[in-house]
Amino acid sequence: MSALLAILTFALIVTAIGAGLVWLSSIAGPKVRKTSAKVMPYECGLPGQEAKDTKISIKFYLTAILFIIFDIEIIFMYPWAVTYFDFMKEGLGGYILGAMGVFILLFVVGLIWEVKSKALDWN
Amino acid sequence: MLTVNDFLFYLLAAVTFLSGAGVILARNPIHCAFMLVVSMIGIAGIFVTLDAYFIAAVQMIVYAGAVMVLFVMVLMLFDLKHELKAFSKGAISGVLKLLSTGVLLGMLLAYIGYTFSVDPSFKPVPADPQHAMETTKEISSLLFTRYVFGFEVIGVLLLVIAIGAVTLSRISGGTHADS
Amino acid sequence: MGQDAFEITINVLKMLVIFLGIVQAVPLLVWLERRGSAFIQNRLGPNRVGPLGLLQLLADAVKFLTKENFVPEKGEWFFYYGAPVMALIPASLAFASIPLSIPIAIEPFEMFGRTFGPYTFIMQGYDLGIGIVFVLGISSLGAYALLMAGWGSGSKYSLLGALRASAQVISYELALSLSLVGILMVYGTFYFTDIVQAQAGPLTFNFLGKSVVIPWLPNWGIFFQPLGALIFFSATFAETNRLPFDLPEAEGELVAGYHTEYGGFKFNLFFIGEYGHMLVASALMATFFFGGYHFPGLTPEGVSAFWSGVVSGANANNILTSLTFLLVLLAKIAFFLWVFIWVRWTLPRFRYDHLMDLGWKTMLPWALFNTVLTAVVMFISHQ
Repeated sequence: MSALLAILTFALIVTAIGAGLVWLSSIAGPKVRKTSAKVMPYECGLPGQEAKDTKISIKFYLTAILFIIFDIEIIFMYPWAVTYFDFMKEGLGGYILGAMGVFILLFVVGLIWEVKSKALDWN
Repeated sequence: MLTVNDFLFYLLAAVTFLSGAGVILARNPIHCAFMLVVSMIGIAGIFVTLDAYFIAAVQMIVYAGAVMVLFVMVLMLFDLKHELKAFSKGAISGVLKLLSTGVLLGMLLAYIGYTFSVDPSFKPVPADPQHAMETTKEISSLLFTRYVFGFEVIGVLLLVIAIGAVTLSRISGGTHADS
Repeated sequence: MGQDAFEITINVLKMLVIFLGIVQAVPLLVWLERRGSAFIQNRLGPNRVGPLGLLQLLADAVKFLTKENFVPEKGEWFFYYGAPVMALIPASLAFASIPLSIPIAIEPFEMFGRTFGPYTFIMQGYDLGIGIVFVLGISSLGAYALLMAGWGSGSKYSLLGALRASAQVISYELALSLSLVGILMVYGTFYFTDIVQAQAGPLTFNFLGKSVVIPWLPNWGIFFQPLGALIFFSATFAETNRLPFDLPEAEGELVAGYHTEYGGFKFNLFFIGEYGHMLVASALMATFFFGGYHFPGLTPEGVSAFWSGVVSGANANNILTSLTFLLVLLAKIAFFLWVFIWVRWTLPRFRYDHLMDLGWKTMLPWALFNTVLTAVVMFISHQ
């Protein structure tokens, strides 16, 4: 509990100092004179070319979804890893290895399928 | 006088509640998504006040760090300026809105009133670091013995989700996303 | 956070020192980077301003502070200003949870006529039982700083750069998390202090039922998990957007990626965040695989006995002992930071599709293989 209070206090300190630095930099410089060149998005120096919507790849969505899947699987491995030795001391080593082995097998099948189906091939 | 535990709970509950309200009431969908991130982090904090340290960390890693990143990335991909009309208008929908809000509010208040009459038997254990590991090891010992079948089913479910997501993205004629 | 005002004050000051330490480490690191890269490239680097060019960074910081503060027209104010601040938070919160040295035990002492009781100050911001899982959770929030920067700039190129950067970061988070499962199996705990304590002394392991002790090697994690250490270290390069994985920031590619529209000190804050992540990665490498603040031959009792010959008083003795171990850890962190800089100026940059392939098709399977291998070896060696 004291750790949570410490975390919140530290986050507050960091945010306050960060925001303070940003504010300091916004008042310590010369006044902003908004010319059209400054406020337009920077595109290698050429005047604005993004008139139309461009199509954006669906790979971002797939990367994020597959990240969630595999992240959850890795999260399940964490309590297994820290209690692996305790299970072995109880004599259940083979059992716990087998239980997670099935899970890892499913993980590997998913990974192999994902690689073979070229879902994440960025070109 | 408020103990540290109570103060932290009220603070985190207020943050979660306000950001949750922000999710519903914000205009811009990206703002909604970021408010949802804040509420996820608030929930993780509430888990810590309940001595569920590993679950709090998992909440941060999976919800705030993976699921919400997906939400935000996808929302940024789609230019939703044209589709900000989220709320329907009209008399019937107004009545339905009031009715559903009233029902939910009533349930919530009833439950809160019930908790006042229950003897508080939860005494938070002083949080020394060894205690966090003990709770994690308890989770693990239950997960891999009593609930191992559910654990394996989750593996199968995740595999199905992976295959489904990739297959769905392959269907031609989807939204304005190119592959 | 403490029982009385003195302890609370010292703890808050300690947090300030940790954060300001990270911020102050950045100019040193940038100086090291510019001089080191210069020597690698057979030139001299900044050597005019101050001795050895050390004040160059101060001059740069002042220059950054006084730059004009332009806001892009299509950007959103909150995200544009919030992203640099958000870039600081994950690295700082993660670094504060890593134990930097042995705790300082303060005996009761007299000051201003009052007795201040016995305290124990831990050399970290907060002591978490779930150490590494917390660090992973907080680091996964780093993707939001990139996304906020890309969105808040209101430019299509910034957004695209931010999306690619965050896709890279989340892909390598998988390899990062998985590479740590092996070392967690070896130590059986998430708690950093226990992991560091388990690495004291000479190399000891179980081999076919017998306990083997090798006295001339330290009990460091690198000997138990060499493949895990390699995968972890490589994955942290991608997490911190350092070369060879720094395509999202590359000049000449998407202009400058997600921080194209940032100038002045906000730009600098992103780099403080990046170097902060490097610090966390180096500290984690040292803590998991290289013994943390332990050094072969140094024990707390031995160092304490050494210092008691130099200073009198138990409090000064404790503080100096703790500082000695802190120096050991800082030396290890400095070594890994130098490796970060060295690799940056040695390897060419990866193309984006090669980068994603490396993360998903190479590192993830190898990390999985490492996990299975560790499990099988532990199973066999404990029969």
